[in-house]
Amino acid sequence: MHISLKKEIKQSHTGQAGIIILLVVIALAVFAPFLSSYNPVQQSTTSLLAPSLTHWLGTNQVGQDIWSQLLYGGRTSLLVGFGVGILSLILSILFGVSSALIGGIYDKIVMRIVDAFIVIPMIVVVILVAAYIRPDLSVLILLLAVLSWQGGARMIRSQALSLKEMGHVNASRTFGASRFYLAWRHIVPDLGIILLVEFIYSVRRAVFIEAGLAFLGIGDPMLVSWGMMMRDAMKFSYLNVWQWWLVPAGVALSLTIVGLTFISHAAESVLDPRLRGEAVA
Amino acid sequence: MLEIRNLRVSYGNDMVLNGLNLDLADGETLAIIGESGTGKTTLGMSIMRLAEARVQGSIHFNGVDLFALSDRQMRGIRWNRIAMLFQNVNNVLNPVHTVLDQVSEPMVEHKLLNKDEALVKAGELLARFGLSQARFSAYPHQLSGGEQQRVLLAMALANDPELLILDEPLSSLDVTTREELGNLLGEIDGHRAKLVITHDLDTASRLSEKIAVLYGGRIIESGLTQEVLRRPRHPYTRALIRAYPNMTTVKDLQGIKGRMVRPVSGCPFHPRCTQAIEECSRNMPPLTQSQGRWVACHRGGIVTLLSVINLSKSFDSLKAVDSVSLRIESGETLALVGQSGSGKTTLAKTIMGLHSTYDGTISLESEKVANRSKDFYKRVQMIFQNPGESLSHRLSILELVVEPLEVQRIGTAEQRREKAIQTIGEVELPRTEAFLNTYPHHLSGGELQRVAIARALILDPDLLIADEPTAFLDASVGAKILKLLLNLQEHRGLSMLYITHDIAAARKVSDRIAVMLEGRIIEEGPSNEIVTVPKQDYTKRLLGSASALHDLSK
Repeated sequence: MHISLKKEIKQSHTGQAGIIILLVVIALAVFAPFLSSYNPVQQSTTSLLAPSLTHWLGTNQVGQDIWSQLLYGGRTSLLVGFGVGILSLILSILFGVSSALIGGIYDKIVMRIVDAFIVIPMIVVVILVAAYIRPDLSVLILLLAVLSWQGGARMIRSQALSLKEMGHVNASRTFGASRFYLAWRHIVPDLGIILLVEFIYSVRRAVFIEAGLAFLGIGDPMLVSWGMMMRDAMKFSYLNVWQWWLVPAGVALSLTIVGLTFISHAAESVLDPRLRGEAVA
Repeated sequence: MLEIRNLRVSYGNDMVLNGLNLDLADGETLAIIGESGTGKTTLGMSIMRLAEARVQGSIHFNGVDLFALSDRQMRGIRWNRIAMLFQNVNNVLNPVHTVLDQVSEPMVEHKLLNKDEALVKAGELLARFGLSQARFSAYPHQLSGGEQQRVLLAMALANDPELLILDEPLSSLDVTTREELGNLLGEIDGHRAKLVITHDLDTASRLSEKIAVLYGGRIIESGLTQEVLRRPRHPYTRALIRAYPNMTTVKDLQGIKGRMVRPVSGCPFHPRCTQAIEECSRNMPPLTQSQGRWVACHRGGIVTLLSVINLSKSFDSLKAVDSVSLRIESGETLALVGQSGSGKTTLAKTIMGLHSTYDGTISLESEKVANRSKDFYKRVQMIFQNPGESLSHRLSILELVVEPLEVQRIGTAEQRREKAIQTIGEVELPRTEAFLNTYPHHLSGGELQRVAIARALILDPDLLIADEPTAFLDASVGAKILKLLLNLQEHRGLSMLYITHDIAAARKVSDRIAVMLEGRIIEEGPSNEIVTVPKQDYTKRLLGSASALHDLSK
């Protein structure tokens, strides 16, 4: 199998759309200080203003600039998303690959732990734990990562088990390669697209859960996030402020998730040729 | 009757014979074999005291020290009691005398017979050697090479010597004359002690009961001719046999790496030996006896590299390999032949440690292999059936070939690269930058297999397990790969376990063949014996269904 991931995603329209959306969101979050002259947490006396040239999306109930909050909220979402994505991917690889390569009792223990986590509905656990410990950003990332590596680990393990029997991995064993070398040099690079799909899946879920927690008010109240913007905006749903307060936050969140979904869909079609729209020569 | 002790002969500084010991009993025929330049002729000349060289040591002939005799006494022995047939026919006979005269001359010279009696005896001798009476009065230049050789033999036997030294008696003759003269020599001269000096194994096999292999001025192996030729124990003897075209062995001809150099310290063969250890370059190994054979080798002759004893491997209820025992000697190829599903690949993978649990013992140079360490893999490498699968598609050719060095942590990046380029050259692949950076899916099957071979060779292993290395290649490319493997064996002394379903290919590349059926080895022996006189029905079936171009019986 020699398929270029880059080429595949470029050829897919959804993939392209997903990448563009995600790049725009990332750009907005990264360049937030240049795109807005307001500090998102700085309060002013001018509350609940309608959009104007000075406040593009108006202000909220305590006079904070909504455009600026939207930009900085993107930062929170992406930080949590990618933070959890990376951490959980590392954990997935660590446990998935080691289970496959070491096998035996170790493999059994790891897989039972994975099963246990998978049957527990993650969102409930997150809400309970978050409500109890009131996590700040880094603790939240850790918490979500610890709760989301299991599915990936299972998938990586099964793939690694079949990779383990491949000719070139066996060949490497006959050079005297250690398990670590096999994992690092052959198995992990060969996992390739699965890692990308797993990563994006974790990112997407983390973005969604972070927004959900903030919306429920369990998140760090000092943190600007899209979830909290929606929660605050809901309280003023009787005014027409929702048009420039609730809707932009909701749209931003949806777009981010849609963008990620598009990318993972395009990547999955590389894994499973049946998902491809047209025959590729 | 002949006892040679510590014979040293040197021409100037060139030591041709270096401490040679030899015994010859009454009525025994001993063949001295070796490549040209090993000092065979010098040995004969020294016994005759005709060598124009510095000679040390002693030669006793029936208890008489030949070196202590005066020239006159020696003349009494020479031709009378010890006669020699010289190698170069054209220069020996005197062109101005008829052959009959020449044959009678030694008898007259030594005053054994008078002229007339001598002529009659000479005629008898010539007739016995098959020269027609019409040719008796011919001059040497009128005779063919074969006829001249008959005259020379008659001459050598004229005085009925006790010891006859034959220097290349049959080598210059065509095969039919050779056979006729060989038989005649046996018939006429069966009882006489003979020393047959030859590079020709056929002559040695025809004429002698015992054989001594000479190399670098010393005897390195001796024993009964048939046994030595069937199963040589010294690497040099085996190499000689491999280089000799004959109707007995079926493996392709192989040369001997390097060329003879003189002088060398230690064992004279060590620069060309593929199993030499450090000791070999320091000390001369003594000729020691074991199992009825004399071998001069620090390693006791050809060593057994890998031995597998009672190996079994089951997958659940399926017994894929069932108490298999086999051994592979250093520098030899053992072909494992059997149909698919007979357990060949399982056996190979088990040896390589790719199947963790098994019953039985695997030993590498008589050391039991328990946990396969990096050292084991440094010595034993494998080429897999499908090069496309065994080479990762993600790595460039250079990355693929250096991987074993990387795993074994040998050398710096620069050294690894150099070694890789050298090995890639050795398997006849281009060493260009472009090639090194290309990826496996851009190469043909033959090229991929060469890359796989280069990768297996980069650690300089002693044993290469080749699992159907040509299965995915067409015949012409496959032939090149097999040739390459044989050349590597010649140059590196690589031992090989060659796994194949194709007995026709196996007989070309292997010294021995083991036939495998349903997880068991049902028959094992030298390739020529398996191919010509198979014992098992299954082997016969394999041979019957092997590739053939046309039916010979029609």
